[in-house]
Amino acid sequence: MPGLIGFLLVVAVPFAMNIGISFTRWRGIGEPRYVGLANYTRLLADTAFWTSLENTLFFVVAMAVVPTVISLVLASTLFDYVANTFGQGLSSFFRAGFYLPQILPVSAAGILWGWILNPHGVLNLILGGLGMVGLQGNWLGDPGLAIYALMAVMVWLQIGYSLVVFMSGLARVDPSLYEAAELDGAGSVQRFWYITIPMLRPEIFVVGLTTTIAALKVFAPVYVLTNGGPNFSTMVPSYYSYYQFFSTVRVGYGAAIATAQTAITVVLGLIFLWAQSRDEEEDME
Amino acid sequence: MTDATIPSAPAKPSAGRRSRRRGAGRWIVLGLLILFLLLMLAPLVLAAMNAVKTAADYAARGPLALPHSFTIAGLKAFWVHANFPRKLLNSLLLSGAAAVFGTALSLFNAYAIGIGRIRGGRALLVLILLGIMIPQESLVYPLYYMAKAAGLFDSLWSVIIIFTVLQSAFGTYLLSAVMQEFPHELLEAARVDGATRWQILRLIVLPILRPTLAVLATFFFIWTWNEFLLPLVLLASNDTQTISVAMGVLSGQYVSDPTTTAAASLLGIAPTILFFLIFQRTLTKGVIVGAVK
Amino acid sequence: MKTAMKLALALLAGLTVGTGPALAASKTFKVWWYEPADGALGISWAAALKEFKQQHPDVNVEFELKTFNQINQAGSLILNSSEAPDVLEYNKGNGTAGLVASEGLLQSLDKPFHDRGWDKILSPSAVELGRYDQNGIFGSGPLYGISDYGEFVSVFYNADMLSKAGMTVPKTLPEFEADMDKFVAKGITPIAEAANDYPAQHLMYLLALSKADAKWVSDFEGLKGPLDTKPFVYAAQKLQDWVKKGYVSKDSTGMNANDMISQFTSGKSPFAITGTWLSTAFGNIKTFHASQFLFPGNRFAPGSTGNLWVVPKSAKHKDLAYDFIGITLSPKIQNLMGNSGGLPIAADPAKITNPVGKITTTLFNKLVAQKGLGFYPDWPVAGFYNVVLQGTQAVIGGSITPKQFGERLKQAYDAGLN
Repeated sequence: MPGLIGFLLVVAVPFAMNIGISFTRWRGIGEPRYVGLANYTRLLADTAFWTSLENTLFFVVAMAVVPTVISLVLASTLFDYVANTFGQGLSSFFRAGFYLPQILPVSAAGILWGWILNPHGVLNLILGGLGMVGLQGNWLGDPGLAIYALMAVMVWLQIGYSLVVFMSGLARVDPSLYEAAELDGAGSVQRFWYITIPMLRPEIFVVGLTTTIAALKVFAPVYVLTNGGPNFSTMVPSYYSYYQFFSTVRVGYGAAIATAQTAITVVLGLIFLWAQSRDEEEDME
Repeated sequence: MTDATIPSAPAKPSAGRRSRRRGAGRWIVLGLLILFLLLMLAPLVLAAMNAVKTAADYAARGPLALPHSFTIAGLKAFWVHANFPRKLLNSLLLSGAAAVFGTALSLFNAYAIGIGRIRGGRALLVLILLGIMIPQESLVYPLYYMAKAAGLFDSLWSVIIIFTVLQSAFGTYLLSAVMQEFPHELLEAARVDGATRWQILRLIVLPILRPTLAVLATFFFIWTWNEFLLPLVLLASNDTQTISVAMGVLSGQYVSDPTTTAAASLLGIAPTILFFLIFQRTLTKGVIVGAVK
Repeated sequence: MKTAMKLALALLAGLTVGTGPALAASKTFKVWWYEPADGALGISWAAALKEFKQQHPDVNVEFELKTFNQINQAGSLILNSSEAPDVLEYNKGNGTAGLVASEGLLQSLDKPFHDRGWDKILSPSAVELGRYDQNGIFGSGPLYGISDYGEFVSVFYNADMLSKAGMTVPKTLPEFEADMDKFVAKGITPIAEAANDYPAQHLMYLLALSKADAKWVSDFEGLKGPLDTKPFVYAAQKLQDWVKKGYVSKDSTGMNANDMISQFTSGKSPFAITGTWLSTAFGNIKTFHASQFLFPGNRFAPGSTGNLWVVPKSAKHKDLAYDFIGITLSPKIQNLMGNSGGLPIAADPAKITNPVGKITTTLFNKLVAQKGLGFYPDWPVAGFYNVVLQGTQAVIGGSITPKQFGERLKQAYDAGLN
């Protein structure tokens, strides 16, 4: 199985090395020095690390929960309504349009969102123009707001991904199912609940798990927009370990952060998979 | 999911079959969708607007004003300084290879786990999922030393192998989840008829999964295209560098010129957009074929 | 899937061509830097390379324009491989040049420094940042890097706005504050600032340096003993005071350097307190005349010599590398740098006619003469940058007190003492 060999080489061995590095003091080149659990005891006392874990919860909401819900509604609207009423072409057009943010490289997205979110940026201009001065905010500079600003960026970025997965899943669905349901008098909301959602269950699990994992290792928007600030309000584990790897060159400590982060992710991933297989078993009955 | 359907001969899509909806409601839905789409695309419009401005225009009126000037100097500067054609080739090779190999690898893996029902498939899946769970920055130093030991440092091959495997972790998971929903009666029937594993994969599994595979390949291409950190570290010389890394070439340590950066990002994403538009057709075709059962 | 197969084959074919070995030349000299081509450094180094080619017609020159990010993050790994060039621009400082020097990846330049007469061009203080000891700490030890330019933080001002308001360049801090009060009265935020990025910490450090003496600066930068936070607490107080008085907008906590630049260049704010790396950009402003003055009343200002030319231990043509470094130090190239609006380290001020280059060079020489280069606030401890940046941002936003600011810096600083 070539997949297994490749996987061992690219993932398992480097990850084992990373765990090894986390027990050392090392600057990336030269000889690492074994320090035992020192990096981990330090990690437990590091408030920045704990803050970064808390902030991750916000990203789970912004990357896994909200985009999934929006995309489910969008996908079923496009599939069950737009494609039938206006034609397949328009539905595809919308799907492509919603997917476009995914294509943008992070560095470019960072600059664009900087223009939008800065205190004199597009968002505040629009709010001002609408007379809603009270709603204007210092989106990236206010410790109370920055995390919500980043969450909005993530929703924007993530919708396209789940939408495309859901729509490709709906391709397996027999349209006559909808038709029959409609003839039986099921409204669009009922069709959504009783056909779309059950049919898309495997995709919902896939999207749920992959976006949750992505949220747990979110990095790019923090890197380009806030550097974890203001006042650590947007610090996340990936940025924090990156920062140790490449800014402070404390590679051992960065490896400890990354190892702890991976362990948490694996546990959550296992819970997810367990729920998924239970769901399938119930289904089999 | 026992009512999973069996593909039959393709028929014309059922346009008009359910076109009874003629009320004003549909325009409201359409209007809402368009509004939402515009909202989603506004940042891209902003990039296009600023890419063609002169630096002076930008300085005087800021990023939000419509361009009062038109210049492709920013685009040209990036093209020349970044040796764009060479980087384009590298990016195409890397992303194309990762998309094709990654999709193929995902299919084989998932087939073995999902339908081949090899022992410990689920445990294997969890192991493979590690590939998407590990934060990439923690792989940088180990992969650097391994690439160096293998003599693949500064070679496109190293990143192609790495991204093929990393992307296939996601693909394996997605495909094996989809395969759980497969019509087992169909596979059983084929097996009874004496079809080999390979024949089942090629003649039954592949056609049904084609839309999903196309989506996967598109994802892999675009994700790999935008990858930044590993190419940055593993590809030392400019001749092997990719576009996403080169996009930083116009910004110095302290200074960066927003108009050229906007231009660079436009030029940087143009190939992906083109790729997506081409594949968009395949995706749509796949959807129609799959939808008619 | 036929198309996919074809695609795969085409890719494979392309790949084998793409990664084929480069043309083998008899003698290939490789040089890397990462300064933008249209800046003063880019212009003068390109001229130096042209000169080099003329002097060495038999050598095949390979130049690569790298990115700051690449050298910053992968520099040590590249130097640790066989892919390193013969000479490259490298970030100054303990965490970067110091690290690779202490790991033995750099060639000591002490011999060419004397043999080639560079010691006549560069004063001891001009090479202080090129020396690293065995722990990679700057200031002493062998010479590993040569810088051919300088940089410092000063006050850029919109001369049109000042003269319209009947003001001249302020000589003292109270004068400066009085000028700013007048702008505030007119509804103008005097200082263009960005606290979600590097600029705000330079203003903070300037204010701290206004209460510092030479001993404090050298102790602070050299990590000598626990941090004396008094100047920083004062700076934070002053900064919050300035925010209250409206000199600096609270909005700056959400702005990055580009926002600050655009606020100054669009004429919305008369002052921008930042480094000479922006001199050329500000000198190119067409809509008004921009100039600069040293922060009033300060002996010290954030500033130092620039990034370093380093020669990897593994370089194949070290002599050629020294030739190239020598050319960048030549009067011709140094004057060109000044005349492109840059800040050469060894130019003849009389030969510089570019107004931006002239004033920058004059002010720099003045600063050097009063021994006023204060380096940067983030230098002493690796990773201090983020602590200082976020702390300054929080001070301006009002979410921490000056005392808390001082404590936060002290905690991170003292942890670096070991």
